[in-house]
Amino acid sequence: MNFINKNKKSSIIGILITIIILIILVIVTNNNSMHMEGIAGKIVMPIQNGLTYLKNKITGNNEFFIDIKNLRTENEELKQNNKELEQQLRELEIIKAENEMLKEYTNLTEKYSEYKTIPAYIINRDISNLSENIVINVGSNDGVEPNMCVISEKGLVGYVVSSTENTAKVQTIIDTSTNVSSIITTTRDSIVCKGILDSDTTIKATYIPIDATLAIGDTVETSGMGGIYPRGITIGTIKEIVNTKNIADRYAIVETAVDFAKLETVLVIK
Amino acid sequence: MKKVLIYIGIFITFIFIYLLQSNLFTWFNIAGVQPNLFVILILFCGLFTGKNSGLICGVIFGILLDLFLQTSVIIEPIMLGILGYVSGILAKNFSKENRLNIMIMVIATTFIYEIGVYTLKIIINSLQLEILEFIRIVLIETIYNAMITIIIYPMFQHLGLKVEDKLFGNKILRYF
Repeated sequence: MNFINKNKKSSIIGILITIIILIILVIVTNNNSMHMEGIAGKIVMPIQNGLTYLKNKITGNNEFFIDIKNLRTENEELKQNNKELEQQLRELEIIKAENEMLKEYTNLTEKYSEYKTIPAYIINRDISNLSENIVINVGSNDGVEPNMCVISEKGLVGYVVSSTENTAKVQTIIDTSTNVSSIITTTRDSIVCKGILDSDTTIKATYIPIDATLAIGDTVETSGMGGIYPRGITIGTIKEIVNTKNIADRYAIVETAVDFAKLETVLVIK
Repeated sequence: MKKVLIYIGIFITFIFIYLLQSNLFTWFNIAGVQPNLFVILILFCGLFTGKNSGLICGVIFGILLDLFLQTSVIIEPIMLGILGYVSGILAKNFSKENRLNIMIMVIATTFIYEIGVYTLKIIINSLQLEILEFIRIVLIETIYNAMITIIIYPMFQHLGLKVEDKLFGNKILRYF
């Protein structure tokens, strides 16, 4: 019996240790010192608060009981005020969020006014580590069809691969199976941009002409060839140029204009 | 009737895992890599419900996953189907009581599944092979899956053995 209990205990301890290691790994690998500061703050702050309270109480001991009645009524009033203010704050936050969303829509439609567009929200993201598709909340009922181009306020997002009545699947430009025919805005050299497994914020520019002159910071946009993406939509900026022994094999890393991790609203070009 | 309930339970677990994967694990990840709980679910299906059920569950869930998110319905059903079938075969040769066995099975199946998926993707979509980045993703995913197995297996083992009792009754070898 003791052996079984001991076994159970060690198994629970094992599970707990694994959970702790997992949480630490997630926090550390996501590389946010903010999290660590937050955790440290959460551990230390209550103790510090307690100590400060004690210190204040000791130093201000004489005046502590003098005006306790007034303080109580004042406290009640302040609590009431606080409640009202919190309520107003909540309302304002809702209005602010709505305002930002509408602004985003207006900016989007103004920027791409030459195209007929359908606004949409992202409702699902890919769960695989090897692909980067998204699902949007408009479908064939809204006029969305396969091979339509999808953009956001900042630039190119991808294209519609399939659509149901109310949803559509979009293959993003950071997916490894996507190739986008593009040009460098300044020199007008044509290149092909493709998604890489390496990152969700960068893509690889290949088939760079031998005589092309690239510079870090150059903007890359769609060339209009291929029939899916219209001409002149921003893809991103060149972040790094990798030279190889054979100049024909050289490639560049392009930082996408769109932050796919924070992307919420998109436009489908009709 | 009990069998139907068991399969409904498995389907509900699939939906629950799908929601977890598309919500929780999009931010609770290790260096941007999510675990793959579907591999664990299909492995457990194969282990506790047999190779044929494992195969069917794998194919059905694979079709659903591809329909939900992927561009073609082919890779996930093939790989998850194979995984379910192989898990059913593994169940006959390895003990399910030993957690280390299960861990090794999860590590091996995650590895094989991801290599299979990536190979099929390369063939179907004619992708460029990015071996180092792929190895990084697979290693992290395997470690993540193994850690999750340590946490959830005691519960699943208990449920799984009950399911096995209901489905196979006294045909189970562990009683001899």
